[in-house]
Amino acid sequence: MSLFKKELQTCFLSPVAYVVLFFFWALTGGNFYWLLGQLAHGESLIVATQLMFSGPLLTFSLPMIVPLITMRLFAEERKLGTLEALLTTATKVPQLVLAKFAGAMVFYVVLWLPVLAYAYILHELAPAEGLVFPDMGALRAGALGTVLVGSLYVAIGLFMSSLTSNQIVAAISGFAVLFGVSLSLTVLAYSAPNPAARIVGQYFSSFAHLMDFARGIVDSRTVVLYITYTAWFLFAATKAVELKRP
Amino acid sequence: MIKVSGVTKKYPSRLAVDHISFEVGRGEIVGFLGPNGAGKTTTMRMLTGYLPMDAGTIEVAGYDIAKDPLEVRKRIGYLPENCPLYPEMRVDEYLRFRAELKGVKSIGRKAKVNDVKERCGLTDVGSRIIGQLSKGYRQRVGLADSLVHDPDLLILDEPTVGLDPYQIRQVRELIKQLAEKHTILLSTHILPEVEAVCERILIINEGKIVASDTEENLHRKLHASTVIELEVQADLDLVKHKLDGLAGADIRNASTLKDGWAWLEVEADSADIRVELFNLSVTEGWPLRELTEREHSLEDTFVQLTRQQGRAQ
Repeated sequence: MSLFKKELQTCFLSPVAYVVLFFFWALTGGNFYWLLGQLAHGESLIVATQLMFSGPLLTFSLPMIVPLITMRLFAEERKLGTLEALLTTATKVPQLVLAKFAGAMVFYVVLWLPVLAYAYILHELAPAEGLVFPDMGALRAGALGTVLVGSLYVAIGLFMSSLTSNQIVAAISGFAVLFGVSLSLTVLAYSAPNPAARIVGQYFSSFAHLMDFARGIVDSRTVVLYITYTAWFLFAATKAVELKRP
Repeated sequence: MIKVSGVTKKYPSRLAVDHISFEVGRGEIVGFLGPNGAGKTTTMRMLTGYLPMDAGTIEVAGYDIAKDPLEVRKRIGYLPENCPLYPEMRVDEYLRFRAELKGVKSIGRKAKVNDVKERCGLTDVGSRIIGQLSKGYRQRVGLADSLVHDPDLLILDEPTVGLDPYQIRQVRELIKQLAEKHTILLSTHILPEVEAVCERILIINEGKIVASDTEENLHRKLHASTVIELEVQADLDLVKHKLDGLAGADIRNASTLKDGWAWLEVEADSADIRVELFNLSVTEGWPLRELTEREHSLEDTFVQLTRQQGRAQ
């Protein structure tokens, strides 16, 4: 518990956090502006939830944003030597990994808070057009999907950070993996000529998953996929910290 | 308190610690000496359970480090090399955080933190941010951290490196005070530090323990003879000639000083030769202004021990 508190504190004390918040909140603002434009052009309000959670501006910035949050987690501790100080107390490595993961997830959720404000604005505006917004089910599913996808991204970023004592290396390798994989899967899902390849892409593309979640579809297979992958990367990070001592 | 036997640590490119064994008794202050890269830090990291060893056993306070690492860690206060701290935290915050990690109960935690702050002279800087403290204060924060759970054994890896002479003296005083309650293993390559603080010395070189004894015993073992310095007002050649006649005295060095006095370094089996040298200068009518037994410094001993081994390899 004290580890988690410390992680949160460090997270919000770092200047990087505020740069990340600034840019991501600006992007959510841009996304909302674009969404309003779509609605003004006669797009139905039903898709608004989808666009809020999985607008391309947001989905494609996540692979860049998340490694910036996670790069410090272990790389900084290695660099400062504080990892040695931590692991010579009664702290166990899995506790440490979970605390860092939880701290980063809280920050990730904070990143998404403006979306709730936008949802509230639409909720206030909709009755004037004789419509109801939001569909609470879709909103909840969208939020769940966002958290699930985020947890996998954070776990991958954390794993990358556990391998190095250089934050830049952690950030760039995290970005390379997340961006490379998510982009190629999304391309596969939407524009592969081979229909079988397209199905594989849709099974794994987090962009496709986010669209589904925001439509209110909670597929247990996808939920299990994200939870197991997240757990696997956290486990790998634990092993990396246990085995990679200077 | 510490029982190390046959411990070995291999790194991919070299053997860092080669089959070392030693013991440290309860209440001792032991200086752990060695040139850079001799294996001091590696040994300390194995003692604290941070690095696994490739062979051998380590027992701390009766617990085997391979079997009960957590029990061992609870009993050790460890100040790692370069004193790692979180620069963005405040001193109080950091010490409370560390105390909690080390299992200090929340009731009484504040009192414990205040107590170590007082012992380490940190009372006035509790609300300062660690990153803005001077190196000396940061070192004290590190020491306070290693003490906060009241460990039986303190392992300090170069606690005074990078401090100014005044700060070094303060940290040394602090370590001496701590010695009343704790067993201390202190690594350093600064020799006067060991002379000032430690009761016993362990010297490690190229991964092997080359000596383990009190400072006086080390000197006695290594230097069978003593060196006498002599200054008389006389012709150097005459003095040399007369000294040749003296049984058991060897001239190691001699020169005529700027003011015309003769200066000689005489090696002898015992310091009793001083009486004979005095008598000689009286009978010859030489004015005498210096007749001293030269103390061997720990530096001599250290250099001799680590070099001997280097040559043997």
